[in-house]
Amino acid sequence: MHEEMRELLNAYLDGELHGWRLQEMETHLASCEACRNELRELRLVSNMLQADPVPEFTSTERFVSQLTLNLPRHPLRDRPPQPGSLAWWLVPAGLLGAWFFVQTVFTLTDMVTAANMTGLLGHAASWLTSGRETIWFSTATSLFGGQAAGAQPTLSLLNDVSVFGTNLLSGFLWQAAIVLLYWAWLFIWWLRGSRRPMKIQKAL
Amino acid sequence: MVQTQPADTETSLIEQAQNGDRNAFGELVRRHYQGVVLVVYRMCGDTGLAEDAAQEAFMRAWVNLASYQPKGCLRNWLYRIAINAALDVLRRKPEEKLEDEEALRMPDQEANPETALIEKEQVVLLQQAMKSLSEAARTVLILREYGRLSYQEIASVLDVPVGTVMSRLNYARNRLREIMRFYMVKTESVYA
Repeated sequence: MHEEMRELLNAYLDGELHGWRLQEMETHLASCEACRNELRELRLVSNMLQADPVPEFTSTERFVSQLTLNLPRHPLRDRPPQPGSLAWWLVPAGLLGAWFFVQTVFTLTDMVTAANMTGLLGHAASWLTSGRETIWFSTATSLFGGQAAGAQPTLSLLNDVSVFGTNLLSGFLWQAAIVLLYWAWLFIWWLRGSRRPMKIQKAL
Repeated sequence: MVQTQPADTETSLIEQAQNGDRNAFGELVRRHYQGVVLVVYRMCGDTGLAEDAAQEAFMRAWVNLASYQPKGCLRNWLYRIAINAALDVLRRKPEEKLEDEEALRMPDQEANPETALIEKEQVVLLQQAMKSLSEAARTVLILREYGRLSYQEIASVLDVPVGTVMSRLNYARNRLREIMRFYMVKTESVYA
């Protein structure tokens, strides 16, 4: 209790304690001589600092005159964004755009594929079938030809499942790559922030 | 001197200055010069350096005025810039060797013990004691003692939590208390 109150003596001295904290402190001070002495010394230090003489500075008017003469032309209100910072923010924007593009492409592909598989597109999308055979399906068809005619529907189904899986995997990999790049950007952003010196907003 | 209407609020002056009005900026400087120069003087401990730092601070304020949001407190924003300017000015100047700490604590006992001399020694000792504080602790102490900022305002200026302000202030005042203890006994009646 005593140590806790000691830690708050400066806050009490500066009028920064309120409500029950203030009451608690005053009750403690009434019964603790050590804290009263410490508070008295802290008050003395504060008074000494306040009493420390201030030298004469250049008069306000003279300072203002000199300063305004040396001011640059304009306070740079319309300064364009710095190329570095603009490029910096283009990275996440570009990644977001890439993610949107990849999502759109894969969604459209899946829709067209589904429509084609159900025969909705008729012969309009016959070009799709040529590229939708896996290697193993082409090999099996060319090797066994008519001998495997009975197994043809099963093989076709397996082929479609395989094509679907490949699409899904490639879609996932694309998105994972974009997410990884975004995390990398976030990590670098965090590093830049944490390396900022203790001084407040150095740019100022 | 630029004549400004009493109705010129700080916000409208800021807006005018942001549009490139030097006179409006001059009026803002006129209003805050004393506060800023006092804070930087306490940081630098030298009149010349303090005026250099104040000039640099107001120049930076002018250049960065476009980024200032009038909803905040201009004085606190200026103090923030001024502290950075003072630290930069201090870093540019040649290192000044501080006196031995033991010598700071125990002034020459054979010197004239009269009050005037004690007070003079005390001023020197106090300034040396301030310089012996870390930048972080000294900044908080100065903003509190000379800037008269609340803990919350100091936290906002330095961009640190209020708890950090309290611990730095505790450290700074306790350190000064230790160094100045010898004088406290002698001059308590003067400052109490």
